[in-house]
Amino acid sequence: MTKIIAIAWKDLRSTARNMPALVMMLLAPLALAALLGFAFGGGGGFDIAATKVAVANLDRGGGSAAAPGAGATVAGILTSPGFRDVLDVSDKGGARAARTAVDDGKDAVAVIIPADFSNVVYGGSPLARTQVELYENPTQQIGGAIVEGVVGQALLEFNGARAAAAGALALRAPGDASPAVLAKGAAEQFARAGGATTVLAISQRAPQVPGDRHSRNVSVTGSILAGMMVFFMFFGAANVARTILDEDRAGTLPRLFTTPTSYGIILGGKFASVFVTVALQATILLVAGRLIFSIEWGRLDAVVLLTLVAASVASGLALLVISLTRTPAQAGAIGAGVYLVLALLGGNFTGTAQGSGVYSVAQKLTPNGWLLRGWDTTMRGGGTGDLRWPLLVPLGFAVAFFFFAVLRMRRRFA
Amino acid sequence: MNIVEVQELRKQYDPPKGVLALDGVSFDIAEGEIFSLLGPNGAGKSTTISMLSCLLRPSGGDARVAGHSVVSEAQAVKEVIGVVPQDIALYPDMSARENLVFWGRMYGLSGEALKKRVDEILELITLVDRQKDRIEKFSGGMKRRVNIGVALLHKPKVLYLDEPTVGIDPQSRRSILDGILALRDQGMTILYTTHYMAEAQELSDRIGIVDHGKMIATGTHDELVNVVGEEARVTARVDHYLDGMAERWREVQGVEQVDLEADEAVLLTQDPNEVLPRLFEAAAAAGARITEINVTEPNLEMVFLHLTGRALRE
Repeated sequence: MTKIIAIAWKDLRSTARNMPALVMMLLAPLALAALLGFAFGGGGGFDIAATKVAVANLDRGGGSAAAPGAGATVAGILTSPGFRDVLDVSDKGGARAARTAVDDGKDAVAVIIPADFSNVVYGGSPLARTQVELYENPTQQIGGAIVEGVVGQALLEFNGARAAAAGALALRAPGDASPAVLAKGAAEQFARAGGATTVLAISQRAPQVPGDRHSRNVSVTGSILAGMMVFFMFFGAANVARTILDEDRAGTLPRLFTTPTSYGIILGGKFASVFVTVALQATILLVAGRLIFSIEWGRLDAVVLLTLVAASVASGLALLVISLTRTPAQAGAIGAGVYLVLALLGGNFTGTAQGSGVYSVAQKLTPNGWLLRGWDTTMRGGGTGDLRWPLLVPLGFAVAFFFFAVLRMRRRFA
Repeated sequence: MNIVEVQELRKQYDPPKGVLALDGVSFDIAEGEIFSLLGPNGAGKSTTISMLSCLLRPSGGDARVAGHSVVSEAQAVKEVIGVVPQDIALYPDMSARENLVFWGRMYGLSGEALKKRVDEILELITLVDRQKDRIEKFSGGMKRRVNIGVALLHKPKVLYLDEPTVGIDPQSRRSILDGILALRDQGMTILYTTHYMAEAQELSDRIGIVDHGKMIATGTHDELVNVVGEEARVTARVDHYLDGMAERWREVQGVEQVDLEADEAVLLTQDPNEVLPRLFEAAAAAGARITEINVTEPNLEMVFLHLTGRALRE
C-alpha cells in the first residue's frame, strides 16, 4: 500500500507542476461552460430573460354588459402567471407611448389592441375586421416570436369560438337564435372564462425525476458544465495515464520493474494517481460551479457517488487507451479521437439534455451518456435511489476498461 | 562461490523468425568480483542485463542470482539486485533527494531507515549540497551519480551496471570507476557492461567477450591475451618500399610474422624492445628509412580482432 501511495503521490505532484495540463483540466471546462451558459441566457437557468412588452389596450369594449372587453382578455393573457417568467408586461396607456418605448429600447415589443377590438370580436357582422398591432424591435427575435405566439393564440381562440358556434348552428335545424347571436355568445363565453390559457396556452415544463415530486429546473450553465466536466475528466485522466508511456520511454518504468515491486502494485499506483487526479479535478469544478455560477448540483451523497464513478470510468478508459498505444503521441491522437466520439455520442456537448430516438440509444451505449443522465437527475433533486442505473452502468464500464487495460499491460510489460 | 550462474541463456524477439539477440550464453560470476561483458553495440550485453534483471523473459535457458531463478523467482531476484540502466532513469522534475526517497520506497525502505540510507547515498555520490535541486538542473555526470546511487539504496548483493560511463566527462568517468572499485572492495558483486576496452581492462577481475549474441571468450585479462599468443604488434611505414623488404624483416631475429598491407608493414613479435633497433638497421641496409612506427602491446582489442576478424569499434 505504501508503494501504491508513493507512486500515486509522485504522479500527483508531477501533474500539479504541469501548468498546461492544469489549465486544460480546470480552466477550459469552466471557461466553456461560462461562455455557452451566457450564450444561452445569462447563465442563470433555462429561464430565458423575460421579454419586455408594452401593452396599449385601446379597446372600448362591447358585447353584453356582463362580458369583459376582449382587449382586456388579451392583455390579461399576456400578464397571466403562466407567462410571468418570459414576459415582462407594462401598460403604456396609448399607442404612441407603447411604440416610443420600443423605439427607445425600453421594451422589445409593443402590443397595441385597437379600439374596435371587442366590437369586431363580439359583433354579429361576419365581414368585420380588425388587427392587433405588434410593434417590435427586429433584433429581439425570440421575444417578438413569443409575444406573437401568445397574441396569435388568443386571436385564434376567439376566431375558433366564433367559427365553432357558427358551424354548430349551421348543422342544426332552424331554431330560435341567429348565427350572429350564437357567435357573439360563444365569444363572450370565451372571454368570461378568461381566455383559453388553460386549454391551449404555452406552458413551460421540465422533465420529471422519477419518483420525485419536487423536480427542479436545471440551469443552462449547470447542464453545460456537467457535460464539459465529464468530457474534460476523460482528458485529465488521459493526461495523467500518459505518464506510463512517458516513463516507459524515459526508462523509469522499466527501472520500476527491476525493483521488488509487483506489476499489480505499479499499475495500481498509476490507476490511483489517475483516479485521484480526476476526482480532485471534478471536485474543484463542482465547487467552482457552485461558487461562480450558483449551480445546484444536488444532494451531497448522490454528487459524491456520481463523482467517484465518473472518476473510475475516466481512469479505466485512460488506462485502456494507454495499454493499446505505444507512444505518447499515439495515445494523444487515438485518445482524443475516442473521447471526442464518446462525447458526441454521449451528448457532452449538449449538456445533460437527453436525446430521443436513435440518439437516445447511442447515449445509452456510452458511459458518459449515463453519467450525464445521472448529473441531470441529481441537479433536478434526485437522490441515490434514482441513480441506480446511472451509477451501475458506468461502473460496469469502468471495471471492464480496467480489466482489459491490466490484461494488455501485463502482456506488454511481462 | 558463484553468486550469478548463467546457463544457455537465449532470447529471440518475435519467434520463430524474429531477431536472435542472445544465443545460448553461459557464464558465472563469483561473489565479490567484477565481471565485465565486453562487446560492440548490439552484441547482446544489454539484453543479458535485462534478462538477469527479470525485465525480459528468456526464450531459453535460465540464470540464478543468489540461488534464485530469474525465470521462476523473479521477485526474489529483484530483492538482491541493483540495476543501473544505460540511460538516466530518474524523474527530472524531482530533486535528487526526492528521487532517492521515491526509489528507496520502491525497494521497500521506509521511515528512519530510508532517511538514513538516503543521507548515506547522498554522501557517497557527493551530492549532499545539491540534494534539493531538481535532476533536470544537474550535469550529465551528476545525473549518472544519482542514477547509480538509486541502485545502491537497498544494499544489493549484486549490482548491474549497463554502460554507466557513456557520454560523460573524463572527471566524472574517473569518479564513477573509482566508486565501482570501492564497492567491489566492500564485497559487492558487480556485473559491468561496456564497449570500452580500457574500462574492462582496468576494472574487471574477469571479462566475457560477447559478439552477435554469443559469448566468444571468458577469463581474466591475462588469460584472454594469451589467446592471441602474447605477441606485440608493430606497425611500420618506410619512405619507399624496396623489393624484398618484407623478406629482410622476416629474417630479423625475434620477428615472428610480417604482413605487408599497402604502404604499411605489420609485424608480430614477443619482445618489441629488442626487435625495434634491428628493424631500423634492416631498413637502412636496404636503402630505406622508417618514417613511422607504432607498438601495440597485446590487449583485448587484439583478442577481439583475433577471435572475430573485426575491430571492436567496427
